[in-house]
Amino acid sequence: MFRSPEPSLSRVIDPPTTSDERGLTHLRVVDADSYSDWESVYRDNIQRLYRLMYARVGNRADAEDLTSEVFRTALRPLNLALSKGEVRSYLLTTAQTVLASHWRRTLGTSVTLIDPESDMNSLVEPSGPEEPSDAPQRAGRILAALPERYRRILELRFLEACSIKEAAEAMGVSVSNAKVLQHRALRMAAKAGLEVEQ
Amino acid sequence: MTTRRLSAYTDALAAGRRPRSFQADPEDVEMLRVAIALRAARPGDAIADENFVAELHQQLSDDLSPSEPTDIHPLKRYRGRAAIFAVAAGLALVGGTVAVTETSNKATVQQSATAVPQRQALHTATFQSPTGQVVGQIVLYHGQPSWVFMNVDLPHSNGSLKCELHLANGEVVAAGAVELHDGSGQFSQSIHMDAGTARGATLYDSSGVVVASAVFI
Repeated sequence: MFRSPEPSLSRVIDPPTTSDERGLTHLRVVDADSYSDWESVYRDNIQRLYRLMYARVGNRADAEDLTSEVFRTALRPLNLALSKGEVRSYLLTTAQTVLASHWRRTLGTSVTLIDPESDMNSLVEPSGPEEPSDAPQRAGRILAALPERYRRILELRFLEACSIKEAAEAMGVSVSNAKVLQHRALRMAAKAGLEVEQ
Repeated sequence: MTTRRLSAYTDALAAGRRPRSFQADPEDVEMLRVAIALRAARPGDAIADENFVAELHQQLSDDLSPSEPTDIHPLKRYRGRAAIFAVAAGLALVGGTVAVTETSNKATVQQSATAVPQRQALHTATFQSPTGQVVGQIVLYHGQPSWVFMNVDLPHSNGSLKCELHLANGEVVAAGAVELHDGSGQFSQSIHMDAGTARGATLYDSSGVVVASAVFI
């Protein structure tokens, strides 16, 4: 599934471990394409994994819990001799199981999925605020297929963080009418078979 | 009728709160996917909070530190004993004539085994509860025959836990049930499947609630 890492080796210097060894340089040969310890695995993947989970559950609290569960489950038995690609694949497989358990536990059925192969790009993209994401494009496709009032209520609620009362005021309708609009808009988008990544 | 609960769920998503659980039907699922896709596009929220990253790092450091004192000692003893049980079970199932004695965290194995499982054919994983607590282990042996062994330790629990294996092709197969007595139970049996394709395992209680899950490496 993964290309074997090139046999490029690098040297890292470990600090002396005892007073008798003070001043000695310890050389440890590690593969340049592997992680040196669990912390490097964590640092390299925490943002990416969180972002993937957030895209699958849509709220910060669940995304944080599930991301924590993935690392707690995966790190203890992790074999650091694996390549970075294999470690990421392992993290994704763990995330797949964790997410599936989450949906079974909370809604009784699968709502969104993680596929270790097709989602591999999520873990190899650059990490940080500049990270590329196709979430705005997907949201744009959903909204573009809806009538104006349906599009507007969903924009206000999900993209502009308006409360139902604020959204109702912005649209000049009652709160109960705004709730109905939101429900119908979601149903129309769902029934339209819009391309929604799972 | 789940409209009200569905609305509550999507309202919570829109407000950035943790949604409450409910039993969703297929139409709900499609609408929830739309709501999640829209919510995921809100600028800024897809970046992990710095405090969360730091706190999880600290928790993992505590969990993974080999010099961690007191609190995790019972767990380490348990895991060591569980590993002995797992190896003993493997020898018993494959070797034929095996005697195992386990006394005070010490195992003695006397055997004239004909075939010890090759390490490459053994897949082990740790069962963890939804809250991250280690509650047992599972061992799969890929051979002729393949077999599964698991032990579970859930204090104050009794009854039967059903185990399902998740295969690489997406299939889910039943792997038996472990009976808990005073919170502990073990189970082993031969299985007629390609054990090498298993990617994970899940334990359910009698009401179908997930008790623990494990991921094979």
